[in-house]
Amino acid sequence: MAQTSTIARGGGSSSAPARRRSHRPPRRSGAFPPRAIPYLLLLPGLLVIAALLLYPLYQMVDMSFHRVGLRQIRPNPQPAEFLGMGNYTQVFASDLFWISLRNTVVFAAVTVALTLLAGTLVGLLLHRLGKKMSTFLIVGIMAAWATPPTATAIIWKWLFDADAGVVNWALNLLPDGLATALLGRADWSGEPWLNSATTIYLVLIVAVVWASFPFIAVSVLAGLKSIPSELFEAARVDGASPFTIFRRVTFPLLKPVFSVLLVLSLIWDFKVFTQLYVLAGGTTNREAFNLSLWAYTEAFSAPPKMGFGAAIAVVLTVIMLLITAVYVRQIVRTEDVR
Amino acid sequence: MKLTKIAAVSVTTAALAIAASACGSAEPAGEAAPTGSAAASGPKFAGQSLTVWRLGAPNEVQDKFMADLDAEFKEQTGAEVQVQWIPWPDAQKKWTAALAGGEGPDITEFGNDQVAAWVAQDALTDITELVKSTPDFQAIPQNLWSYETIEGKIYAAPWGGGTRAVLYRKDWFEDLGIQPPKTWEELVAAGKKVVAEKGKDVDGFAFNGGSDANMSLSPFVWSAGGDFAAFEGGKWVGKVTEPAFKEGFQFYTDLVAKEGVSGKSRLSQNSVDISTRFAAGKVGMYVTGGWDIATIKEQSKGKIGDDQMAFFSLPAKDGSGPAPAFQGGNDIAIWKDAKNPELAAEYLKLAAGKEFGTRYAKEGGLLPLYPEALAEFASDPVQAPFAETFKVAKGFPADPNWAEANDTKAVLQNAARAVIEGKKDVDTALADANAELETILNQQ
Repeated sequence: MAQTSTIARGGGSSSAPARRRSHRPPRRSGAFPPRAIPYLLLLPGLLVIAALLLYPLYQMVDMSFHRVGLRQIRPNPQPAEFLGMGNYTQVFASDLFWISLRNTVVFAAVTVALTLLAGTLVGLLLHRLGKKMSTFLIVGIMAAWATPPTATAIIWKWLFDADAGVVNWALNLLPDGLATALLGRADWSGEPWLNSATTIYLVLIVAVVWASFPFIAVSVLAGLKSIPSELFEAARVDGASPFTIFRRVTFPLLKPVFSVLLVLSLIWDFKVFTQLYVLAGGTTNREAFNLSLWAYTEAFSAPPKMGFGAAIAVVLTVIMLLITAVYVRQIVRTEDVR
Repeated sequence: MKLTKIAAVSVTTAALAIAASACGSAEPAGEAAPTGSAAASGPKFAGQSLTVWRLGAPNEVQDKFMADLDAEFKEQTGAEVQVQWIPWPDAQKKWTAALAGGEGPDITEFGNDQVAAWVAQDALTDITELVKSTPDFQAIPQNLWSYETIEGKIYAAPWGGGTRAVLYRKDWFEDLGIQPPKTWEELVAAGKKVVAEKGKDVDGFAFNGGSDANMSLSPFVWSAGGDFAAFEGGKWVGKVTEPAFKEGFQFYTDLVAKEGVSGKSRLSQNSVDISTRFAAGKVGMYVTGGWDIATIKEQSKGKIGDDQMAFFSLPAKDGSGPAPAFQGGNDIAIWKDAKNPELAAEYLKLAAGKEFGTRYAKEGGLLPLYPEALAEFASDPVQAPFAETFKVAKGFPADPNWAEANDTKAVLQNAARAVIEGKKDVDTALADANAELETILNQQ
C-alpha cells in the first residue's frame, strides 16, 4: 500500500508539469499522468472502501462456502472444511428461509411506501410553513430521526405493552360503539402486541416509519427549495389544483431526489435488525425472523454456525444488490433519454 | 517566531508531563497493597492481573464474597482480580465472542451442563493434573465430577450444586390462605387465586418461554414420566410425541392458554425477565434457584425480603412427592486462552477449595459439594426443598447439539408458542418438534 502511493505521488507531480513546460505538442495518447490523475484522486477512497467494505464482503462470501465454527476463527485456526454450495442448499431447503424472506420483503415494501408518503407530505408542509414554524417542526422531527434505534424500539415496546402500554389504554378510552365499529371489539386490556409475527411487524413498521420519515421530509424540502418559484406561480395562474401542481411540476422536477431516497430507504428497511431484535424479545420467536435476524441467530447462538450465517447474509446482499441495480439502471436510462 | 515556537514546545511538554504524572500516580496507589504483603509471603505474581467472569447479576452478598476471595488471592499471589458479571442468558454469546476475538477471561464460571459443548469448541483447559494433586478437590465425591469429565480428562471443577424449585410469595399465600401446592391441581388453583386477588397483570405461576424455558418445562414432563430424547441404537430418538411428555407439555401450555395463570403477552420471557417482574410484585410463583433471592431483595429495594418469599418443591401431578427438576450446578474453569495459566490455576484452587467453595455455594443459594457442608444443609428449612429435589434430579440429552435445539432453534419454545396461540394443536406441534429435535441431535 505504501509503495503504490509513493510511486503515484512521484509520477503525478514531477513529470506532468515538466513536460508541459517543455512546449511539446500535447499528445493525448502519450499523456499518461493527466489521464491518471482522476484515478489517483480516487485511490485513497478506493483503498478505504476496499479495507472496510470489500475485504469483509470477500470474507463473508468465502465463509459461506465453508463450515466455519469457533475452531476456524480462533487464533491458530484450524482449516475450514469446504462445503461447495452445501450451506446454500441448506438455506433454501429451510422453512425458516421462506418465513424470513416473506417477512423481509413485505416489511420493506410497506415501510418504504409509508416512509416516502409520510416524508413527502411533511416535506411539502415544511415548504409552505413560515420560517419560525418550519424550523420548530424540523427540530422536532429530526429529534425522532436522531434517536438511536435501540431507544426507538424500547419506546415503542413500552407504548405497546400489554398491561401498562399507552396504546391499549387509549384504545380502551374510545367509546365502546366506535371501537367495535372501527376495530372489531371494545376491550383491549391485556392485548399482547408483541406475541405473533403479524402484530410485531405492525409495531415495527410504526417504529421504523416514525424514525425514518424525517430524513425524507428534509431531503424533499431541500429539493423543493431548488425549484424556481416562478414555475409554481405559472401553474397557479393557469388554474392548476395543488395535486396537479405536485403531479405535473414538483414530482417530475424532484424525480432524481425521489429515486435516491427510494433506493436508500429500500436498503435501510431490508436490513433492519436492532428494532426487530428488541421488539421480538430476542431470538426465540422464529415466526418473526427476518433475514438479518435469522443470519445473526445461526451465526452467533451456540453452537455458532458462521458459515451458514454468512450464506444467509450473502443471499440478503444479493437480493438487495439486484433490486438496487435494476432500479439504478432505470434511473440512468430515463436520465439519458432526457 | 522562535519565541512562540519555544513557548509552544514547553507548553506541550508541560501538558505531557502532567498527563504522565497523572497516570503514574494512579498506578502505585493500586500496587501499594501487594508490595506490602510481598515482604510477608513473597508473592510470585505481584502486579499481574486476572480476569474472572462470574455469571448472573451481582448483588451485595456476591460482591462481598468476591471481595473476600479476591483479597485472599491477592495476599497469596499478589495478583489483582478483575471481576466481570455476565447475565446467564448472555453467557453463550459472550463466550462465543471471547473465543472468536481472543479477548476473553482467564477464569470463568460455567453451567455444568454446558461444559461438554464448550470443550467440543476447545474453550477450556485440561485441569486433570491440577485436580488430582489438590487434596481439597479429592474431597468432593467422585460422582459429582461426571459433567466435567470428558473422555477421561477433567475440564472444570464443580463449584456448587443447583437444582430448581418454585419461588413463591409467602406473604400473598398467607393473606389468601393458600397452602404450598402438593399436586398440579392445587398449583393451578393457587395460581388462579393469586391472579384473581392481585390483579390481571400478575402472573400466578409465571410461564417461561425464553432462552431457558426448558428448565421450567422439564419438571412437568419428567414428573409425568416423559423425556426429551433417548440415545437408542447409536442415534438420538425424539421422545416428545410420547403420551407422558405430551401430558406435561399440555399442562405447561395450558397454564397460559386455558387456566390463564400467566399472561398471554409474555410468551418469550426468560427467568431473568420473570425475576425482575417478581421483584416488582407482579409474579406469584415461578421455577428458579436460590440465586435469585439476593437479586430480588436488591431490585425490590427491600420490599420483597425473607418474609415475603420462600421455596417449595414442584410437586408431582398426583402429589406423590417432588417432581424431578433439572440437575444443574455451577462449575469454575480455566479458559483455554488464559494469559497466565499458572496464576489461573492458583485462583481455581482457592475459589473452589473447601473454604471458598463452600461459601460460594451457601451464599449463592446452591448446594455445597463438600460432604460435611451438605449434611449440614439438609436440615436448613430454607434449603430443604432443594436438597429434596436434588435426590430425584435429571439432565437434558447429553449431546453438544442440545444447545442448538435449546438455544438457536428454540424448538420447544416455538412449539409451546404455536399451541398457546392456537396455530397448531398439541399433537401437530409435538410431532413437528420431534422431527426437528431428531434432525438437530443427529447431525454429525
